Amino acid sequence: MMNLMDLLKWIINLVFSPWLFVPLIFPGLVTVFIVILFIIWFERKLAAKVQLRYGPLYVLKQLGGAIQLVADLLRYLFAEPIIPESADKLAFMLGPIFLFAASYIPTVAIPVSKSFYAFRSDISLLISLGLLTFGPAITLITGWASNDKFSLIGGLREGYLTMAYEIPLFISALSMAALYGTMDLIEIVESQVGWKWGLFLNPIAAITFLILALMSTSRFPFEIVEAESEIVMGPFTEYSGILYGLTMGASYVKFYVLCLLFSIMFLGGWKPVPKFLSWSPIAPGVILLLKSLAIMVLGVFMRAVYPRYRIDQALRMGWHIILPMSIGSVFLSLGLLLWGVVS
Amino acid sequence: MSEERIIELLIGPQHPSSGHMRLVAEVDGDVVVRLKPNIGYVHRTVEKLAETKKYIQIIPLVERPSLADTANHNLGYVLALEKLLGVEAPPRAQYLRTILAEMNRIHSHFYGIGIHGIMLGSSTVFMWGFADREIMIEMAQWLTGARLTYSYIIPGGVRRDLPQGFEDEMEKALRYLERRLEDYDRIFIRNPVTRARLEGVGVLKKEDAIRLGIVGPNLRASGVPYDVRKVQPYCAYPELEFDVVVREEGDSMARLLVRIGEIKQSMRIIRQALKQIPDGPILSENYLKMIPPKWKEFMETKRRVKFPAIMANLRPPKGEAFSRVEAARGELIYYVVSDGSVTPYRFRMVTPSFRNVVLFEHLIRECRVADIPAIYGSLDYFPPEADR
Repeated sequence: MMNLMDLLKWIINLVFSPWLFVPLIFPGLVTVFIVILFIIWFERKLAAKVQLRYGPLYVLKQLGGAIQLVADLLRYLFAEPIIPESADKLAFMLGPIFLFAASYIPTVAIPVSKSFYAFRSDISLLISLGLLTFGPAITLITGWASNDKFSLIGGLREGYLTMAYEIPLFISALSMAALYGTMDLIEIVESQVGWKWGLFLNPIAAITFLILALMSTSRFPFEIVEAESEIVMGPFTEYSGILYGLTMGASYVKFYVLCLLFSIMFLGGWKPVPKFLSWSPIAPGVILLLKSLAIMVLGVFMRAVYPRYRIDQALRMGWHIILPMSIGSVFLSLGLLLWGVVS
Repeated sequence: MSEERIIELLIGPQHPSSGHMRLVAEVDGDVVVRLKPNIGYVHRTVEKLAETKKYIQIIPLVERPSLADTANHNLGYVLALEKLLGVEAPPRAQYLRTILAEMNRIHSHFYGIGIHGIMLGSSTVFMWGFADREIMIEMAQWLTGARLTYSYIIPGGVRRDLPQGFEDEMEKALRYLERRLEDYDRIFIRNPVTRARLEGVGVLKKEDAIRLGIVGPNLRASGVPYDVRKVQPYCAYPELEFDVVVREEGDSMARLLVRIGEIKQSMRIIRQALKQIPDGPILSENYLKMIPPKWKEFMETKRRVKFPAIMANLRPPKGEAFSRVEAARGELIYYVVSDGSVTPYRFRMVTPSFRNVVLFEHLIRECRVADIPAIYGSLDYFPPEADR
């Protein structure tokens, strides 16, 4: 009997040990799924509100169709994933899986609170951003493996866009690292004391980072890779069933990771924790999640407002406007350091 | 080693934004070198079918090719038929025809704007366009009894009189649509992304537009003030005041703005027509006298037409007739040849979309792949109307 209790205790300890809890439960896999469920439902509800219609309604009517996506996911699971005869089968099948994984793996480097993280590294900002860059390469591979002209064009669009958004994304993130004098996400949060959130210190970096987060996850107005009226579904044209579901989820996961990073770098992360909640071990994580969700809602709301840019216009924007802006944000950070606004 | 630079992209007929047609695009990188529209997927032999049908049966037939624009197709055919028969509708019927035609123009333009919106990626404008189109459909349903295929205009008149209280409801509907147009202006037309996508894209020069025989809003967006309602007025148009909306730019944005402007002009026409509409019968005296007195009483109380028996077997005298009207998408031509029997000897309809299809090849050249739907949407091209 004691043995069983010991075993149970060991299992609970294992699950709640940070190096398992962070990648698997929060902010990892389980939370990722809940966030996807929520944000896709909310996106559809929000767009429906603007467009004078109901949106998802009939699956769990009491909550306004909140679990519509569960039904969709089940349908994806049981639908036959059709693999085209002429496709490169291995790459075609593994592409979406790797794409989803590459979007979600960066969560391991993201700390949830001052003392709760999978591992502490003094370059965790760089690790999480670096891991995110796997995605576009895999998108390109899926586009090629599908052996379809629309997929090929979509993959190439992703390739071109990657060039345009990744460099300024890194520069604007690193300008914040320069400002705080560290690349450790925990120290970044801890150095945002009082009103000195990154958003107020360096708004240029915040704006560029947000725009590039939209661009890199093909949200409107940069929904260029999957532009439906032009190239059907871009690199994912040939996918069906759960493989398609993974490709669709991947961009939301990537957006979620970028929003976590945004709230850590610019919105003070898990701070401020209200006094009456300071005893709770989950309060910092919940605050971080809520901040990220707020940014995600802002991001998905763009769907209701904007049409999409053309690829050359988005590239021009990336190279001619966003890149100079991100370089400007570096100088702003250096200026703030020189003037002694931050120590 | 030979290098293949150009890939052939088959857009449609199973493509989210191709419509019932196929666009064969030759693409060099992201630049469209050449595009050929492949039409005919929804050809329904309307012209040949009309030669087997009686004159009155052709009315529902000509409505089918263009479901967004049925009243104008109906009107065009009936005008040609009336010329053959030598009858003319009374003034009240002429006004009712004008009102329905303009209501149809409004909902056809909203349809076009909605489709254009989704082709650019703005799902909001798509949903709004299709929702606001519904206003005019509901009003037309009240007037005619059908949502889309009204078959309202018959030789010598119209089928029904204005319902009680129609003017007030129409005023409400028009006020609502005016408010909505301001919302469109805010979210779509002044949207920087829309402007970036449409301005300077697919420019149709004035001389090219004339040379290619383009009609309708696409022609007027290139600076040619040609409108059949002004050039060869029919129905109540000579008595009504309205402007021909013209823009000089000739790009996709101009075509969109011309449509918005025409919606406003149509509202103006409807308001005037409802104010000026004269009292009187809604069926020509030629047919009215054939209706038995009992049915005449019915007609007066119910304010709707009871068809005289002769309508079933109309036999126009030998001859030919030609009519043209300004449909929502442009000039619509009907040509009917009668050999004195109950069916036409030859029936010809030239639809505006068919005359505009040449623009695909002309405009979508040396532009980006993403411009294909942007230009396609701006043309308001409707494949079934072109294929007939």
